[in-house]
Amino acid sequence: MANRDGSRDISIFRPRGTSMRGEVRVIRLVLAGWLISIIGFQVFVYLLEVNYSKLLLSEFTFFNLPIHFWLTGQLLPLWFIILCALFNFWMDRHAVKSLDGSLRFKLRGANREGEE
Amino acid sequence: MSVSTVQLLPLAMVAGMFALFILSGLRTRSRQASDYGFSGGYTGRIGIGAAIASNWMSAASFMGLAGMFYLKGYYAMAFVVGWTGGYVLLLVLMASQIRRFGKYTAPDFVGFRYESATARTLVACISILITVIYSVAQFRGIALLVSWLFGIGYMPAVLIGAALVVFMVVISGTMGVARNQKLQYFVLIVAFILPLMLLNRKMGFFWLLPQFGYGAAITDLQQQFGFSWSDPFTTESLFHWLALCFTLMFGTAGLPHVLSRFYMVPGIRDARWGVVWGLFFIALIYWSAPAYGVLGRLVEARGGLPFTPDPASADMIVLSAVSNGGLPLWVVGLLAAGGMSAAFSTVAGLMLTGSASFSYDIYPRLIRPKASETDKVNASKGFFLLLAAVVMVLSLRPWGMIAEIAALAFALAGNTLFPAFLLGIWWGRANAPGVIAGMLSGVLITFLPFLLGGALPVVSNLLPATSSAFIGAPLVVVIMVVVSLLTAPPSENIRRFLAHEVHDCMEE
Repeated sequence: MANRDGSRDISIFRPRGTSMRGEVRVIRLVLAGWLISIIGFQVFVYLLEVNYSKLLLSEFTFFNLPIHFWLTGQLLPLWFIILCALFNFWMDRHAVKSLDGSLRFKLRGANREGEE
Repeated sequence: MSVSTVQLLPLAMVAGMFALFILSGLRTRSRQASDYGFSGGYTGRIGIGAAIASNWMSAASFMGLAGMFYLKGYYAMAFVVGWTGGYVLLLVLMASQIRRFGKYTAPDFVGFRYESATARTLVACISILITVIYSVAQFRGIALLVSWLFGIGYMPAVLIGAALVVFMVVISGTMGVARNQKLQYFVLIVAFILPLMLLNRKMGFFWLLPQFGYGAAITDLQQQFGFSWSDPFTTESLFHWLALCFTLMFGTAGLPHVLSRFYMVPGIRDARWGVVWGLFFIALIYWSAPAYGVLGRLVEARGGLPFTPDPASADMIVLSAVSNGGLPLWVVGLLAAGGMSAAFSTVAGLMLTGSASFSYDIYPRLIRPKASETDKVNASKGFFLLLAAVVMVLSLRPWGMIAEIAALAFALAGNTLFPAFLLGIWWGRANAPGVIAGMLSGVLITFLPFLLGGALPVVSNLLPATSSAFIGAPLVVVIMVVVSLLTAPPSENIRRFLAHEVHDCMEE
């Protein structure tokens, strides 16, 4: 499996096999959601601060909190929990499907053996 | 909040809380055991989550974060995002894969994956260094609380605090006390949120959900006292905010005592869902901590107390907000007991893990190759005392606030262990020379601001001591990749293990 040049080594950028490809795809989606939300919210707050009055940030409130406090301090941790839960739901579903696949494979193999 | 008398009621509450944890630990000891000092009872995914959160909650979370808000306003939000967002990295990139390796400590993992005793020893040394730095943060919290409880100065409080830590560990070890982490989390979260609800109520804000109620306090501070919390990037730049945030996230995914949680969970699915519950329990603290900082400022402003940017006062803002807010002494005592308990359990767990690293990974390999099991146990006990002494001395003159000292430990973990684990799991070509070169570079990058920061301001600007992993961790990954590609690949056995056992690539 492992060639001397390392061309078939495990790599997150070149996943191998159905299971790993699927897992890496969902990992990329979760990490994209994670990264965009963190940087996006801060750039948004920064642009509001730079381009508009600072007062806008204090007048813009949500749930009683200035918008940047709410987005960063309340929503982001909640969003991380949601991302983690979505990842787990996908992994659980994926694990069940993989198990189904392997069971079908084994049953087919067993039936064939029985026929022979 | 300096006082010169012994606080009897809070002292009794601290003693009561410790007695509760010891008694509950004695009840659960027959059900669990561990040589590594981080055992915990697992009863379902919520139990795993509570154990993760209880393991995580330290003086930095309980006291330090509110202090950062009190002193630095919005900049402290980087701690909230960093210390919660790191769990996303941990879950998707590491939790289940680490479990599949079947190793029990960070040195075990690295030694096995990279097939190198040198890399293993290096990880053990780095883990001990992380332990020392992180423990200094806890000792500072303990000393500030002891100083308030006994009405004594900071320096004698450090000595008494260190003696109490050693005493507690010896007593717990002698009696075979196990940590009942579910109970501990429940008590700590009540001790943190109940006083906040009472303070919100007393000050006339929405108290049922104090995590939102403090918004009105921000408005009051601005309208009545001209203090603005609405200038997020005026004192600290966007770059520094992001650098701190990502450093804490990389560090969270690389801290040995956080990673150790996943080696011992019974099932992979339980490990994954445990992270979600753990993150929720941790978020409960972080949704609340900013409120203490804001309300502390408002209480002072209303009372006509001048604002002094003193780090020690800021680190005690959780207690002083409640005390100056006119709440009864038992409420302050509850917070003091929670803070002491969080700091004690963290520091005891860390130092026991550090001692185990020394006695299993360094002592028999570098100092006494033919050491018997008894020798190792004695070495572990001796090293624990040495660690306590070193941490105590460093705590006498701490180099920052609780959260800042903790952030340095996160930076070290983010620059060294995080890249080692990340590439170890996700790149089969990563090898021993690569990881050794990478981790040594990571150590250098972490301490570069201390070595060159004075002479070259650009170094401390790009690599701030608390935030160096933002640039450092990617740099270490590049170093690891280059060195790995220039040297011989790892053995076929470990590459096959990674493909088949860790990533389940059976069909190719």
